[in-house]
Amino acid sequence: MKDRTFYRVLAAVVALCTALTLAHVGYGAWAYQNSSIVQFIAKEPW
Amino acid sequence: MKLVKQLAALLAVVMVFALFNFSMYRVFTGRLGNNFSGASQLKMIELEKYLPFQPESDLARVDASVKLSGDLPVLDGASALVPVYASVIENLYPQGSVTYEGGTFSDDNYYGENFASDSVMQYYNTVRGYKAIVDGDTDLFFSGGPSEEQKKYAQEQGVELVYVPIGREAFVFFVNQANPVDGLTADQIRDIYAGDCTNWKDVGGPNRAINPVTRIAGSGSQTRMEKFMGDRPFGLKSPFAITGGSLGYSFRFYLEGMVQDNSVKLLALNGVYPSMENIQSGAYPLVSEFYAIYRADNDNENIQILLDWLLSPEGQEMIAATGYIPLAKE
Repeated sequence: MKDRTFYRVLAAVVALCTALTLAHVGYGAWAYQNSSIVQFIAKEPW
Repeated sequence: MKLVKQLAALLAVVMVFALFNFSMYRVFTGRLGNNFSGASQLKMIELEKYLPFQPESDLARVDASVKLSGDLPVLDGASALVPVYASVIENLYPQGSVTYEGGTFSDDNYYGENFASDSVMQYYNTVRGYKAIVDGDTDLFFSGGPSEEQKKYAQEQGVELVYVPIGREAFVFFVNQANPVDGLTADQIRDIYAGDCTNWKDVGGPNRAINPVTRIAGSGSQTRMEKFMGDRPFGLKSPFAITGGSLGYSFRFYLEGMVQDNSVKLLALNGVYPSMENIQSGAYPLVSEFYAIYRADNDNENIQILLDWLLSPEGQEMIAATGYIPLAKE
């Protein structure tokens, strides 16, 4: 793969992963507002 | 060889993101999943367990000497007090006074209820319920004390609310069952929520950050916690606290009587566990009254009849039978 092509592919992968991660963070922030405090603590990993 | 390195670099980028998202799911998002269906959003309780006039409902039934008729007061309350006001309806109201949109109960909606507008039972919960009682949409509201904002809203509307204590309940703190800490002092809890104590090892636990969880503004437990904190700053925490072990608060009956999740445990406060015995004896330090609240200008005569009954031995017997603590005898 030519360097220029590689960097384009890399940029596309980073953009896609960033978008998915931001969507995950946004979902989490929104869901947290509507969640039960009890279940949140009950499912805590220890 | 160059292609292999390039593919490895791409794979490494994907793996970094995947690892971050997996970690976030483990410590955060995955714990919210069960609360997130359309029917269970904001649904604090399984309301169908507390519907009046259903033989299988988990309500307190006493041999009431009073039955209401005529202009029936519309009752509403905090989620934790649904068993109380639903039991009042069960014992004092005529059959058929609780009605549903579409004819039958359904929890397939935003707030887990579909009471018809002419139903004597409503379920606005605390945050919306104070507004409803001030606006005159309901006649009696069962709840803990109001927040400053709720008091202010009543003042702005020129409405005087009357608060009648009808029972008592303990305010409790809880953690995950696996957390080795079994108790805290009131000062330690205030330090934690003020951000002055941030690690469990400082209060006898493992070396792990503390995640002091708060509730939504205007909820009964949040209002009670604000009172507990007094003038201390409250609710500030590091964003990394989310990875730590959580500390939460609620009312005892909501946790033990309604939610009944064995994965959490109540903490002793100042060395006293919030057992029924310790609450009734006064040994547990955080016990507060809950109220039936009505507008001072509400002239529905059945309100006073209902309140007189609630404060009578029969009514207090019903309070005890729901799992709450009756008012102390004079």
